[in-house]
Amino acid sequence: MGIGVFILEIVAPFLEFVAPIIPGETFPYIFKLEMFQRALLAAIMVTIVAGLLGIFLLIQNLALIGDGLAHVSFGGVAVGVVLGATSPLWYALVFSITASILIHELQSREILTGDASIAIFLTGMLALGLVILRVSGGGITTEIHSYLFGNLLLIDEGSLDMIAMICIISIAFLASIRSTLLACTIDPMAARIQGLPVRGIGLLFSIITAAVVVSMVQVVGTLLVTALLVTPAATAQLIGRSFRSCLIWTQVFGLSSVFFGLYLSSELNAGSGSMIALVSAIVFGIVAISKISFDYVYQTNEN
Amino acid sequence: MQSVKVEITPPKRGQPDQRVEFPHSEGEVSVLDVQNMTVVRSGRVIIRDIDLKINKGEFVGLVGPNGSGKSTLLLAILGVLKSKTGTVSIYGHPPMSRKLNGKIGWVSQAASNLPRDIRITVRELVQLGTRNASNMFFWTNSKQKELVDKAIKMVGLENVENTDIARLSGGQRQRAVIARALASDAEFILLDEPLVGIDRESRNSLLKLLDLLCHDEGKTILMVSHDLTAIRQTAHRMIFLEEAIRFDGNTNDFPDLNTLAKLRGIEPVHSSGDWNEHNHSKEEE
Repeated sequence: MGIGVFILEIVAPFLEFVAPIIPGETFPYIFKLEMFQRALLAAIMVTIVAGLLGIFLLIQNLALIGDGLAHVSFGGVAVGVVLGATSPLWYALVFSITASILIHELQSREILTGDASIAIFLTGMLALGLVILRVSGGGITTEIHSYLFGNLLLIDEGSLDMIAMICIISIAFLASIRSTLLACTIDPMAARIQGLPVRGIGLLFSIITAAVVVSMVQVVGTLLVTALLVTPAATAQLIGRSFRSCLIWTQVFGLSSVFFGLYLSSELNAGSGSMIALVSAIVFGIVAISKISFDYVYQTNEN
Repeated sequence: MQSVKVEITPPKRGQPDQRVEFPHSEGEVSVLDVQNMTVVRSGRVIIRDIDLKINKGEFVGLVGPNGSGKSTLLLAILGVLKSKTGTVSIYGHPPMSRKLNGKIGWVSQAASNLPRDIRITVRELVQLGTRNASNMFFWTNSKQKELVDKAIKMVGLENVENTDIARLSGGQRQRAVIARALASDAEFILLDEPLVGIDRESRNSLLKLLDLLCHDEGKTILMVSHDLTAIRQTAHRMIFLEEAIRFDGNTNDFPDLNTLAKLRGIEPVHSSGDWNEHNHSKEEE
């Protein structure tokens, strides 16, 4: 029994307990049936770790690295599928981590600054995936489609274990070196002089990012990874007043987007990944508009 | 350009020296000892033949025109840049040594160096200063909290300690960054152009703060600035750097503009211009 199944066994009774008070016609089944429980658990874990990562990515101006690595993962998945792998996500993991390390090195050695290195890997690996799929004659099958747009229902026990393992390691890592990582992120030079191993921390962070992106691919899909990685953190930036409050708000926005997204997708029979992404964008819009109008009213009153 | 240090007769101006002298005797605790350092970047000699010794409790101002190698010297001292020749020792250890963890405080131009996409309070920022290789995996303990409290109090930001730094003025932000450097209980503080982007009033209070840190807290300070007036107001000792050290001595002995021009090997264009003001306006263009 893997760690994901173990966690599921712990939380399953709780999910079944709350199922009767969950609104909607089909939504409560997500809390009842094991297949859906797996999906829900995976979505929650991924959202928590994505929020944590997202804040650091925003500070580093790397909002699109999630998108880049997700496309690289897609290339990996395509290679895995063509080679007949039972779980192509492991291929995605290898591809994504390699690309992430290379992008980090290109940027830290100042060979290519900014997001140009991300763009190169994004398009290059996406193209590789598409070419391999076309040459092998498979094309975009249902399986490939679910990796592109996410399909919560395809999460089997093996994937759940993998997602759980990545998320737990990442959360433990991020929680323990939170301050150190923040110091290295906002002022690398000062951190280095303080005696922090900035390079090593940056490399570890890249690897964690790559692994988390791969774990997200099945939940929201390659094309929509950024929705959970960046949108909740960006929404939190609008109203947070400290780093700590941003951490909390990110989780609030991320988890509520997931719940509302899943609710709407099950009631309207729409894709879960796209609905989660849409809801998180709408949440951002509502918060941004309220903030702007609040600031406007506040300033007008003050003058 | 001349490589030999030029002997100059100190020009007479103002009161005779009332400050405490910091003699370079053997008994003094040497905080920094740089010997025969030359730094080359992409084939060009940036600084050469630097010999520099700083003792405990000194407030040294490092001045020089833009591109004279001031920042390079700082970064080479800190070990961020590798020097081609020469040695650096800080408290008897090479730069970047683990033994120096928490002993060196670094203050950069805060206004331009902190990312915009972040919400972080003064307290949270200062707390980051307590991190080093030996405690990077642990959360902040009570001793570090005390140091953070002390650092915030020292720079006088107690009343805004829970405010987002984006809402602070340039001067307050710079204070927060100084507090971050102090939070590790650093004894040797290096500042790179801390006065850039700060209004006159905050500038003066910032200089007062540095003076206080030096005199009351016994910190050793090395400050880089192109603001000659500011350095003259506070530093005990001044170093004029332009590729090599052209002047190193008591602040009151710092040469006037004409002598300075001779030191730099150029004929003065303005017979009575303020070098600093001239330089400053060039910077802002």
